[in-house]
Amino acid sequence: MLILILGMGLVTFFPRFLPMAFLSRWVPPQRVRMGLSYFPVAILSAIVFPTLFSDGNQVGIQPSYLVAALPVFLFSWKVKSLWGSVLLGMAIYWLLGFIL
Amino acid sequence: MNKNGFKDGVKGALPIVLGYLPVGVTFGILARKAGLSSVEVGFMSFFVYAGASQFLAIEMISKGVPIFSIILATFFINLRHILMSSNLSIYLRNIRIPILGLLSAQLTDESYAVAMSKLSSVKNRPPYLLGLQMTSQLAWVGGSVAGAFFSSLTESTRWGLPFALPALFICLLVLQIKNAHHVWVMVIAGISSIFFKWALPGNWYILLTALFASGVGMMIETVWSKNP
Repeated sequence: MLILILGMGLVTFFPRFLPMAFLSRWVPPQRVRMGLSYFPVAILSAIVFPTLFSDGNQVGIQPSYLVAALPVFLFSWKVKSLWGSVLLGMAIYWLLGFIL
Repeated sequence: MNKNGFKDGVKGALPIVLGYLPVGVTFGILARKAGLSSVEVGFMSFFVYAGASQFLAIEMISKGVPIFSIILATFFINLRHILMSSNLSIYLRNIRIPILGLLSAQLTDESYAVAMSKLSSVKNRPPYLLGLQMTSQLAWVGGSVAGAFFSSLTESTRWGLPFALPALFICLLVLQIKNAHHVWVMVIAGISSIFFKWALPGNWYILLTALFASGVGMMIETVWSKNP
């Protein structure tokens, strides 16, 4: 675990540090910037969708996950509150536990 | 060093603190659920100090993903800081490397966003940025350690906790969507990730989808900018 934490710390530190230290006016090539601008959307989608559309290790659906996900999508889009979305999602999921 | 600059920075961090404390608590609870000790939670929040990749890491740890893949994923997620760091460096001229090291280690999306909104305070004044970022990091580390302790008081399957992480990632995803290209990338990544997960062993689908879909996003943008 310690190796993991230090490794994660190092790879997080260098992208933050090196540009500030050495590349004060450097701007990455157009294509690299273009690709990087889509990376967060891509990786977050890759985390979210398989969670909603899988049943254990099989492709399928998790009804309570899907039902809870919709209002969280709408709430995040309208209100843009990280903490609010987490609370709302937990509340809906918790209530669904009594119904489904 | 200008002490007032530091104080102003601490004050500027208050909105960030409000955001970091509760998310830090959530992280602490979920990290304990994934098997980390309270000390490990504190260590990770202090040394890594990067929300999205820490949440991704505990998700991967609980799925038994090898250490190397987790570090690689962390690297790719945090590559985006290259742009923020380059951008901030324009306003931090003639400052000693150790101080830059300290400032850059605490750089986050949020501290960058606040700093860019108060450029006159930031320009060549490390104490301001230091105050802003130290306060923010304190909130993150404090929140996650508090969450780690609190987690023993509640069962991890109660109170909707299993959905805390999916809800957080849904919101993080929605916050990243700023134009139509992003919507297309989300749709493509959503479909391909489900396919890759079904087709491939282990958890390679996350990185593979991210590289594939951001590549497709790049192609969409290139084609559309040529034929509007």
